[in-house]
Amino acid sequence: MSFFNSGTFWFIEGILCCLAATGFKYWMEDRGVKLTWWKWGLVTLWIAFTGFVLAFIGVSIGENEMQAAQMAALIFGLIAVIAAVIVWRLLHLKDKNTANSKT
Amino acid sequence: MKKKTFNFHRRQFLKATGAASAVLGGTGIGLFGIRSGKDPMTYSGTESLQGMTQNFNRSKYEVDTPTYKKVGETSRIDARTEVIFARMPRFGQQWDDEKGLDSLDPILKKYYQDHPEDLELDLHLRKEIFPKMRQDKKKYGDEFILAEAWSNAMGAVWPRGYNKPPEETDFPHPKYGRKQPLELESPEMTAKLIKKMGHEFGSTLVGICKLNPEWVYKHPMRGRGFDTEAPLDVPSHWEYAIVVGTPMEWDAFYANPNYGTSHDSYAKSRIVAYRMAAFIKELGYAARAHTPGTDYDLVVPPILIDAGIGEQGRHSVVITPELGSNFRPAIITTNIPMAVDKPIDFGVQDFCKTCKICAEQCPSGAITMGDKENIKGYKRYALNVSKCHNFWYSNLGNIGCRLCVAVCPYSRKSNWLHKTALQVTANDPTGITHSTLTEMQKRFYPAPDVKDYYIPSLGGKNASYRKPPWWLRTRDFIKLKKEQS
Repeated sequence: MSFFNSGTFWFIEGILCCLAATGFKYWMEDRGVKLTWWKWGLVTLWIAFTGFVLAFIGVSIGENEMQAAQMAALIFGLIAVIAAVIVWRLLHLKDKNTANSKT
Repeated sequence: MKKKTFNFHRRQFLKATGAASAVLGGTGIGLFGIRSGKDPMTYSGTESLQGMTQNFNRSKYEVDTPTYKKVGETSRIDARTEVIFARMPRFGQQWDDEKGLDSLDPILKKYYQDHPEDLELDLHLRKEIFPKMRQDKKKYGDEFILAEAWSNAMGAVWPRGYNKPPEETDFPHPKYGRKQPLELESPEMTAKLIKKMGHEFGSTLVGICKLNPEWVYKHPMRGRGFDTEAPLDVPSHWEYAIVVGTPMEWDAFYANPNYGTSHDSYAKSRIVAYRMAAFIKELGYAARAHTPGTDYDLVVPPILIDAGIGEQGRHSVVITPELGSNFRPAIITTNIPMAVDKPIDFGVQDFCKTCKICAEQCPSGAITMGDKENIKGYKRYALNVSKCHNFWYSNLGNIGCRLCVAVCPYSRKSNWLHKTALQVTANDPTGITHSTLTEMQKRFYPAPDVKDYYIPSLGGKNASYRKPPWWLRTRDFIKLKKEQS
């Protein structure tokens, strides 16, 4: 078993995820974006999909299936980028409650 | 002077750490993917003798009736002529161009009179393909020295087999063996024990079923010879069939038809089967091993279906959930009472209906692109065995082809990506994922033009589905006398 299949790897991945989420929260706050539960949900879905794309590309490279890696990068990568743009715009939507409380 | 607050630094630090973590985490996922793709642990079927390789939850997909359908009058197979490995050596020895059909013994003669298309193909092999294959082997064959050496070494262990009828060979030794069968706790416990032993003996998958006498050859060869006219009465002690089997080496398997071999898993499955037969005899019961390549008294695929090992695909090979088509089985017929498994239906019939990749990639055109037909009373996809067999000698390297097995979308290593795809297809009643995954397979995993698989003298380029693994590239290890193109 290699490091990348070990429990240690996934433990470190978990820590990195938590740190990334914390940093993301502060960053969004500095931009004046309040992260509600559904925004966190969207971000989580995007991260899961992007993780899938990266792992798909990786598996294909590992299996020496370069065309599969390229196609995955092209098709799923493009979907991930488009999804990122959509999620980003949704994150900046004013939350109804927040908007009401300001008026 | 305004004092800088620590809070600002903390936020910046956390943001920077978050960004770095995101990059590191993403990189980690990518590296995990690469490792998953290369991981030897995903070379499913060879990593464990503990039964961990039989890891598909079959109980969810069990069905009461097998996935093959009886649609008419059935008849047992006459191995003397319908099994090509019995027919071809006799044909090769007897055929005389001048005498034609009259040079053949009555059994062969009648077969070819009834099947002139097979005579044409068998003669084509003899007159056209063999000479060109020999000629090209001299010219290009050195590329495959290591592949052939590896294959022959893998096939070097071959138990002696049976040269007497089942009544004489299947029971414990009359002098040294157990005189009475041991009393067993229960059929369920015996099945559990047999399966555990199967894995311990080296089998990747183990299944048990009652033996349907229709699967036994009408004229089996072993211990009876070619000339016998009397059909075999299925021995009463062949009550159950135990299925065992192992996969072929994955990297060489993807480099078919030239570099792969059947001998590695043939030999492993043979050893498992003979061990299992010996184990059962030790308990005082009868057992007989039916092993690859040709030492069978029965037809294997339907027994695999009955035992819940898998389903028969368009290419006639049984597709298993764990190994796809990459499974070389052996059977043990026995009378030890066991609880039996149920057939399974995990979506292969629907998938094969539309996929057709094996048929498209079959260089010989032996696999039908059409629908299922009534073959000997059962509805199944037709396979032109003679066309298939002719291609075995139309490529160099190891004898055989195995391309249909290699290109089958089910035949993928057991990493998370392919296992997820399997679970999705097995649980999708709409068929949407079937067509999506088939399309992905065609676009993501390219294959050579089918003509290129042939030897140059037959218009090809000695192509393989994938490049050979590093340990089968002859030029990297052996100084060849002359350069071959």
